[in-house]
Amino acid sequence: MRNGESRTRFIIHHASFIISAISFLALLAATIAWSRRKAPSPADFTFIIRGDITTLDTRGITWLQDMRIAYALYEGLYTLDPRTLKPVLGCADRVDITPDKTVYTFHIRDDARWCNGDDVTAGDFIFAWRRALEQPGDYTYLFNCIAGAEAYKTACGQGKPADFSTVGVKAIDRKTLRVHLKQPVKFFPDLCAYVSYLPQHEPSMRKFRIVDAKTGRVSYDARFTRPPNLVGNGPYRLESWEFKQRLRLVASDYYWNRAAVKSKVIDALCYSDVRTAFLRYEMGGIDWISDINSMDAADLLARGRKDIHIFPGFGTYFYSINCQPKLKDGRPNPLADVRVRQALCMALDKRPIIDNVARLHQPIADTFLPPGIFAGYQSPQGLPHDPQRARQLLADAGYPGGRGFPKLSILYNEGDEHGLIAQICRKQWLDVLGIDIELEALEIKSFRQRLHGRDYTIARASWMGDYDDPSNFLGKFISTSDNNDAGWANARYDRLCRDGETEIDPTRRNAMFTQAEQILVDDVPIIPLYFYVNCYLYPDRVRGLPPDPRSMVMLHAVEVHRP
Amino acid sequence: MKRYVIIRTLQFPLILAVIYLLTFFLTWVVPGSPFETGDKKSNELALRLMAERFHADNWHSFLGHYPLRLMRGDFGQSMQYPDWSVTDIVKTSLPISVSLGLFALTIATILGVSIGVLAAVRRGGAWDFLSLSVALIGISVPTFVVASILLMVFCVKLHWFAIGQWQSFSDLVLPGLALSLLPMAYITRLTRVAMLDVLSSDFVRTARAKGLSRFAVIRKHCLKHALLPVFSYLGPAAAATLTGSFVVETVFNIPGLGQHFVNSVRNKDQTLILAVVMIYSAMLLSLNLLVDIGYAFLDPRIQVEAKSGG
Repeated sequence: MRNGESRTRFIIHHASFIISAISFLALLAATIAWSRRKAPSPADFTFIIRGDITTLDTRGITWLQDMRIAYALYEGLYTLDPRTLKPVLGCADRVDITPDKTVYTFHIRDDARWCNGDDVTAGDFIFAWRRALEQPGDYTYLFNCIAGAEAYKTACGQGKPADFSTVGVKAIDRKTLRVHLKQPVKFFPDLCAYVSYLPQHEPSMRKFRIVDAKTGRVSYDARFTRPPNLVGNGPYRLESWEFKQRLRLVASDYYWNRAAVKSKVIDALCYSDVRTAFLRYEMGGIDWISDINSMDAADLLARGRKDIHIFPGFGTYFYSINCQPKLKDGRPNPLADVRVRQALCMALDKRPIIDNVARLHQPIADTFLPPGIFAGYQSPQGLPHDPQRARQLLADAGYPGGRGFPKLSILYNEGDEHGLIAQICRKQWLDVLGIDIELEALEIKSFRQRLHGRDYTIARASWMGDYDDPSNFLGKFISTSDNNDAGWANARYDRLCRDGETEIDPTRRNAMFTQAEQILVDDVPIIPLYFYVNCYLYPDRVRGLPPDPRSMVMLHAVEVHRP
Repeated sequence: MKRYVIIRTLQFPLILAVIYLLTFFLTWVVPGSPFETGDKKSNELALRLMAERFHADNWHSFLGHYPLRLMRGDFGQSMQYPDWSVTDIVKTSLPISVSLGLFALTIATILGVSIGVLAAVRRGGAWDFLSLSVALIGISVPTFVVASILLMVFCVKLHWFAIGQWQSFSDLVLPGLALSLLPMAYITRLTRVAMLDVLSSDFVRTARAKGLSRFAVIRKHCLKHALLPVFSYLGPAAAATLTGSFVVETVFNIPGLGQHFVNSVRNKDQTLILAVVMIYSAMLLSLNLLVDIGYAFLDPRIQVEAKSGG
């Protein structure tokens, strides 16, 4: 007992000393742990990504910054020209296309190699495509144009027996791949260059294979994408990936077009906060940021900074209007009347949104498709800003001066400038039409659930294109589309879109799409507000970042001139 | 004492299970799908298959599946970052938060106790004013303001530190300072009040009368009493600081665990939410137990046996 007592007294007498000593030791340990870390050698090209890469498994990639890295690690049959971002032959050096444009035979390069030295074969493409159909992601719909692909995907999803030989993809020999399409698809080369169509290296993934005991479904533990497991056939191999810190790409020793690889070592630094990322850029040493908040960007523009680059984007910011006859709660929907929708649209002056909120000289949108991006496409005439007619239309619909108009709301997600834009619209609708529309801000997940569930009256929305064709935008509002959040249906519109997709003659095709968009604009299931612009920040020394509307960048072509 | 520790330890799994269940049900009632990204509507089939892979297609399947994995120490894959398992994420981010937290806690304790003692001894003087300022700033100024000011002054204007790096010891200094301010404020006030209390007690007067120097009286007789409340505060403070802070980690771009507390909820990343909540709870429980035991050593008047006896 005595022993314990003396120990207690010792501790009591020296409490402050003990606490200090423990703290000091902890500090020392931390310091030592720190000093043992090695700073990485500098890269040839360093850029900043937001947060972190979500996934490098090509079948599940949806984010732009993941795609940029994927293109550095993999190469499709077609790839994108680094300057024009149009599809050019990549891993295949020759393609035979039948006159009816439904059968493509690809000849894979003899010198196409995986980064471990293995030969790239037709089987590698079939493996990746088959995986995509069996374990679909958000972009698996891009395979629908291949004969039998959609049916195979659906059968697999429902757990029914499915035979892959019914899908129009065959390996003629080790290096030859033949693809049968359902119908001619004008943009099939674009699809072949898309991330979903990239090949995968089965032998290196084999040890990550998981077979579900119950359903028999095969999936792969996504850890196969982590270095040193990931084997790609692109210009780079993934040397390291520290979660939320850094990815390092090093030029592949086996890529067939090594001469085109400008930077041998690339670092992608992860920054969660755009503001901190921007400050980091301002300190120097960073070659490129593709994500800055509009306040900083507008400030730099005003100061006449030369390293800010603004160019047209590939998307539209708009308000989606619920067109269904009844609202989710059973009330009759006043917006089902086209005159009300037109009144809302024509009452809006969109200029203050650009001048006071968006602030990057975004083009005002009166139509849905960004103009000047699709070759040969003529945008239709949008509805003008006309307060007089707007009031008249609302009166015709039975709400003169806004009297008797039911309570509606603008639904948007918190963050960014959505709230400010909604306030501007609310004020204008109140001033011009005399109707007070409430604002309803939601957390993003709840917001999406309400938007996709058509449980709203007016909602903030946006659409970003995936591939270079008007159908990619117009398809959103086909009455059967999953993405038709407005619940709008127009038989003539549907027919024009469908016919346009299969039309081979480019002029007739574009004319059909223009007619379809005219219907969309006149019928107002959406109120277009502005077209997105892209904003890059990079100094003079950096070359090879093209002003691509989709802001795609082929990292291997980026070059930094150091003095 | 032994009995007390054993009982408390046995309570651990029970408390953790309750916390697990509460968190689990809260994550299920929150709207939205963890697998949906972007403004486009996700493919229904893709969503269903993903959910099946995670056994997250319905709540009872998830509840029946996930705790068993947890028992084996396997937190499963992150739903938001499918290339990473939750264990990987915790393994890379927890040590970072712990080292940053230890650093911050050390600063907070050393400075907090020193200022608090000086403030009490020189009551109404300059030190007292300083202690009041520290406490006022630490408690009332939000961390994101402090962090941003530190970043602007020392990185952007003075160029003393690099921005948003996590490579060398110097990268620890500013976030450490920002993180230490709140516990420092508490510790300063706690020490000061306790010290004032002790300084006016009879045994201190006796000790002084005995001819002991002021310094010796404070060091030998007062400090250990004054430290008792600080000590009990250190338990929860350590759990909070060692698991990282969302704000500090975001402003200084530190890849720690703190950001996952907020981001995982925002992404509805159920596996990650459960993991961070369980880690935080386990840490809080063990640190509180440690504090209770340490308390008994520091203050023999406290009888833990009596407490445990109910």
